[in-house]
Amino acid sequence: MNVWLQLLDTAGALLVLVGAAISLLGVIGMLRLPDVLSRSHAATKPQTLGMILVLAGVALRLRSGMDLATLGLIAFFQMLTGPVASHLVARSAYRTGQIDHGELLFDELDEQLTDGK
Amino acid sequence: MSVFEQIDRVLLTAAIVLVLAAGLLLLVRIWRGPSMLDRAISLDVIAALIIAGLGAKSAVALDSFYFPIMLVLAFLGFTGSVGIARFIAVRDRPQAVTATVPSPAAAPGTGSRPGGDAGSGSGATKEDPK
Repeated sequence: MNVWLQLLDTAGALLVLVGAAISLLGVIGMLRLPDVLSRSHAATKPQTLGMILVLAGVALRLRSGMDLATLGLIAFFQMLTGPVASHLVARSAYRTGQIDHGELLFDELDEQLTDGK
Repeated sequence: MSVFEQIDRVLLTAAIVLVLAAGLLLLVRIWRGPSMLDRAISLDVIAALIIAGLGAKSAVALDSFYFPIMLVLAFLGFTGSVGIARFIAVRDRPQAVTATVPSPAAAPGTGSRPGGDAGSGSGATKEDPK
C-alpha cells in the first residue's frame, strides 16, 4: 500500500515536469511565431494544458479534499478568464490593423466592420 | 522509499528550472514585443507561469500555503491584458502598424475593407466595440 502512495507521488512529480515542459514549449512558440494571432495561439498552451497538468500533478501529491477543491477552483477560473482576455486581445489586434488579411482563410469580421478604427 | 523521494525531488527541480527558463524567455518577448498586444499576451502567460511555478513549489514542499495566491492569480490575472487591449493598444497603433505588419501586404487588405461592405447594418456595429 505504501508503495502505491509512493508511485502516486512520483506520478504527480512526473505530471508537474510534463506540464512545465509544455509551458516551456509554448513560450518558445511565442518567441518564434511571427504574428499576434499566432503568438496568441501559442500562448494558450501554457495557459491551459501546461497549467492543468501541473495542477493535476500537485493534486496527485497533495491528496486531501480541501486542496483538491482549491486546485479545481484554480483550474476553473483559469479556464474561465483565459478566453476572455484572448478574445479581447485578438479583437483589438484585428481592429488596430495588425493582422495580415491575406493570411486569413476565413474573415467573418470583415463583413461586419467598416474600418479598423 | 528514499529512492522514490530522490526521483521526485529531481523531477520537481527540473520542472522548476523549466518554468524559470520559460519565464526568462517570456521576458525576452516582453522586451522586444513589437506591439503592446504581444506584451498583453505575455502578461497572461506570465500569470499562468507563476501559477505553475507556485504549484511546483507546493509539490516540492507538500503544503498548500500558496494556493490562495494561485487562486487570485487565476481569477484576476486577465485584467491587465484586458486593460491593455482595451485602452493602450488603440493608442500606440501607428507605431505598432509600422513595426509589425509589412505594409505592402497589409495595404490591400485595409484598402479593400472599407469598400468591401457598404451595408446598412454596419452603422449599428460600428459604435459598440473599441
